[in-house]
Amino acid sequence: MTSFIVVCKKELADHLGSKRFLLLFALIIVLSLVSAYQGAESIRQLGSGAFVNIFSSSMSGLSFTYVMLMFGPIIGLALGFDAINREKSQGSLSVLLSQPIFRDSIINGKFLAGIIALSLLAVSTIGIMTGAAIPMLGFGPSPDHIVRIVAFTLVTILYLSVWLSIGVLFSTLTKKTTTSMLASISMWIFSAVVISIVASLVANTVYPTVWPSSVYSSGGMLDQNFFDDYMERMELQNELRTTIQRFSPSILYQEASSAIITINRVPVTSSSGELIFDSSTGFPSIQYVDEAQDILTNWPQIVVLAVVAGACFAASYMIFLRKEIRAGN
Amino acid sequence: MSEPMIKTNQLTKHYGEIKAVDQLDLTVNEGEVVGFLGPNGSGKTTTLLMLMGLSLPTSGTASVGGYSVIEQSKNVRQIAAMLPEGAGYYDDLTARQNLRYIGELNEIPRDELETRIDELFDMVSLKKWADTKVGKFSRGMKQRLGIMEVLVKKPKIAFFDEPTLGLDPKATKELRDLLIRLNKDYNLTIMMSSHLLYEIQQTCQRVLIIRKGQLVVSDSIANLSNHFDGKDRTSIEFELTKVSSDLIQKLKDIDGVTSVDKESKNKLFVQTNIDKSQEISEAITKSGSTILLMKPKEHSLEEIFLNYYEDD
Repeated sequence: MTSFIVVCKKELADHLGSKRFLLLFALIIVLSLVSAYQGAESIRQLGSGAFVNIFSSSMSGLSFTYVMLMFGPIIGLALGFDAINREKSQGSLSVLLSQPIFRDSIINGKFLAGIIALSLLAVSTIGIMTGAAIPMLGFGPSPDHIVRIVAFTLVTILYLSVWLSIGVLFSTLTKKTTTSMLASISMWIFSAVVISIVASLVANTVYPTVWPSSVYSSGGMLDQNFFDDYMERMELQNELRTTIQRFSPSILYQEASSAIITINRVPVTSSSGELIFDSSTGFPSIQYVDEAQDILTNWPQIVVLAVVAGACFAASYMIFLRKEIRAGN
Repeated sequence: MSEPMIKTNQLTKHYGEIKAVDQLDLTVNEGEVVGFLGPNGSGKTTTLLMLMGLSLPTSGTASVGGYSVIEQSKNVRQIAAMLPEGAGYYDDLTARQNLRYIGELNEIPRDELETRIDELFDMVSLKKWADTKVGKFSRGMKQRLGIMEVLVKKPKIAFFDEPTLGLDPKATKELRDLLIRLNKDYNLTIMMSSHLLYEIQQTCQRVLIIRKGQLVVSDSIANLSNHFDGKDRTSIEFELTKVSSDLIQKLKDIDGVTSVDKESKNKLFVQTNIDKSQEISEAITKSGSTILLMKPKEHSLEEIFLNYYEDD
């Protein structure tokens, strides 16, 4: 246990003092502040009054969730891609293993240090954004929004941990740090860009939706049967596309986080399911969806993210523990 | 007699079809400095890794300090330390921070650790570099840091795998002197592999020669020199006032003398398979020559080593 803490402390100090981490941290902070400003502007213009929308709203598309989607993987991978093979290539692994410690304390310590560093990044970034948004908006988050912000922070840490564990996995699988870096970058590009293209291609191939020139009946009316069939195929195509895209941790994070930080409003219904109308306006009454309900709606995405992080870590753990130390290691 | 510090019994390691170490039986006693020799790929490093509990044997057993390297590898690593070939350090940390990390992993109390680190810096003459980042160190300085990392946990036995690799002659001598001092002052058992046979000859009391994963020799260099070619054979070097062909013939006629070689105008090497120094001296005196110098010829470790590998 002690050796695990010693390794963790050393690795954490390495992360927090590394130029790589500090540079990315600074970049994320700057982008987050820009996104907070844009989020606040958006809230003011739309008059939504929902504080948590500073994380999801933006006039130019640069929302905090987008920043995390694009740069979160880089920072997670940056902390993990050379965790093990760097020790090997610089010759310190055999020195480390010659000490009276169990091997698992090395990988556990490294992984925990990475998670702590990422947690510090997520908490401080979201904290700074929240702090900066209060004077911009002139009001602070309500208690239920605080719950949403905490939940969003935890999901963000989980998402960053997924990328950390993918990086650590590559670092145990490959001998050279350059190889694991390239593998990590490829994984990020695949997850951020390629999977959407692949998903669209597959979905279009499986459920082609062509709008032919003559779909009108003899009377010039739209052929209802064709239209229904077309809509059904569109739905199936979207479903398949979404399913494929969900292989990407970025998509899972996007879905999970948007459920938490996007305030949804739904019509109020009676117990029998009938709409209830506002007597003063005559329009259906609207209510905000409960935060617990929003979080629960997307629990499968959160569970899958946790499973991916756990599976990658477990694989790294098994590979590292079974790895033979040979002459030249 | 106390239990050997290292004992292996039919220790074997296979990498697929390759037998890196093959039924190795060796013992090293407490306080010994042993040289572990063999060409590249003979199984030296694999043996050292198994003795440190870093690589599991395919079969056979080994114990270090009474602990099994298989079942009690953590205990082994508490009393044994290793400086692996090409050992690396954390370049972004200072020498002191590197040592502190190793000390903390060995659960050495903080105050004791700091005292020990200061002592070690004095010992290896690296004190003024203690707070310099290791990335700025020369190869020799890094090697000295490696020695400190080995010693910081006060081991009973230390394994050095090619410790002088890449060092200049001055640094090599300093390292050799340090190892001898550690053995004398702390009764540290040392097992070191090296390709620099002269260093082994100067440092070690005994050599183990390994060939294709098997131990072929375990003896002192003096004994190996005497048993050169695998026979009881002694070479004596003579420096005389004069060397005549008549004297050479007379010496060759002595029973037990196997060869007589004239090295120079008045230098002779006489090889015998039993002690004939008395008869040889008398024959020289009778021939009218005077013995200026008489000493047994020592074979270098290189000659001994190459003798075991002449077929390879």
